[in-house]
Amino acid sequence: MSGRSHDIPEEVQVLAGEYVLGALDEAEMLAVRRRAAADPELAAAIAAWERRLAPLADAVPPVAPPDELWARIAAAVAPVPQEAAERPPLHAPAEPLVPWARPVRPPPRRIWPWQLATAASLALAAGLAAFALLPRPVPPVEMAALTPPDAAAPGFLVTARPDGSVVLTAAAPAPVPAGRDMELWVLPKGASAPASLGVLPASGMRMVLPTPPAPGTQIMVSLEPKGGSPTGKPTGPVLYAGTFGALSP
Amino acid sequence: MADARTADEPTALLRQVAAGDRVAFRRLYDLQAPRLYAVALRITRQGPLAADAVHDAFLQVWRNAGRFDAARGPAEAWLLGLVRYRALDIARRGGREVSADDLDLPEPADDGPDALEVLAGSRDAAALHACLRQLEAERRRLVLLAFVDGLSHSEVAERVGMPLGTVKSWIRRSLQSLRLCLEGAA
Repeated sequence: MSGRSHDIPEEVQVLAGEYVLGALDEAEMLAVRRRAAADPELAAAIAAWERRLAPLADAVPPVAPPDELWARIAAAVAPVPQEAAERPPLHAPAEPLVPWARPVRPPPRRIWPWQLATAASLALAAGLAAFALLPRPVPPVEMAALTPPDAAAPGFLVTARPDGSVVLTAAAPAPVPAGRDMELWVLPKGASAPASLGVLPASGMRMVLPTPPAPGTQIMVSLEPKGGSPTGKPTGPVLYAGTFGALSP
Repeated sequence: MADARTADEPTALLRQVAAGDRVAFRRLYDLQAPRLYAVALRITRQGPLAADAVHDAFLQVWRNAGRFDAARGPAEAWLLGLVRYRALDIARRGGREVSADDLDLPEPADDGPDALEVLAGSRDAAALHACLRQLEAERRRLVLLAFVDGLSHSEVAERVGMPLGTVKSWIRRSLQSLRLCLEGAA
């Protein structure tokens, strides 16, 4: 193997090393990937560096992943019934998929919602894991309707997908007063304070929650100053609220 | 006996996963997730982002296990690559900066000694350990900041307070020395 790698030009060796090391910025990483797809020398140099540097990862002590992570993975690879696979998405997202919507302002207290929701999601996790091992159709979605406190028609529909993402579809939200924004919150069952999921566009959005919603997880929309709550907690009235599991059998 | 079995197990499991074996997939996750999650957490510095990286990587494993080629390297290195690149992509897209200030992680140790001591205890890593030791401490630190913490050239430069050009050329020369040293040892 060492004889082979001597034939690869130094420039390629170093570029591959920088790539595997993780020292390149986003554009450079993409450029290396594109080039490696068509350049066997570069691909071989990358594989060689991966092998050389892999033991360095042992320098990081193992950390148990959150309990619900396996359930997310199992659900995503679960066999999907043909009919569901062919069904078009319920909603073409107006917003690009964001991995874990950016909090508008740094939350004052750092308790990850997934920590709070761990207990609530354990039962769900067990259920999904069992599903994944059986050739049974998995329900593709969980739904919740976000309704105003007067229980009029829902303002938004929330659809949880098996891949862990959540789609908010605008049903009939009331217009937002000028100079104000709607902000989205999640309150896992048993949690004492909601966590911000960011400002909610009137058209709806798609996002990945820190943990897939479990039965009992509440989603709320509050009216806030432009740009979102300044305190990290809801400051305005709750316009819409709904609970996962309420509509599902 | 247990050692030999666990060393080969990821490769054997990957073959079963390629054949659609969900029990093997679960076993592979149980074996590897704590190591891979730790690596992703170190790079993304946020639990939810690290979980996303491991999630995405395991979906790739499920879909592409058949493309794993044992001749090109151990299964563990392949899995590590899938998770690291995903974590780096997430970190580079800026997710990491959102609340890097207020996370609950212990501040990563900047310097190499800890990492080197862990490496010294691993038989497979003996050559890498010896070659890293041949680098000057300051240069070794730049290499570890990039690999372990996933910092880009410019982030490394900011962290250590050195000009970007110097960081780039030090890392470049460290890579050249490392490769020559490792190939000499092979």
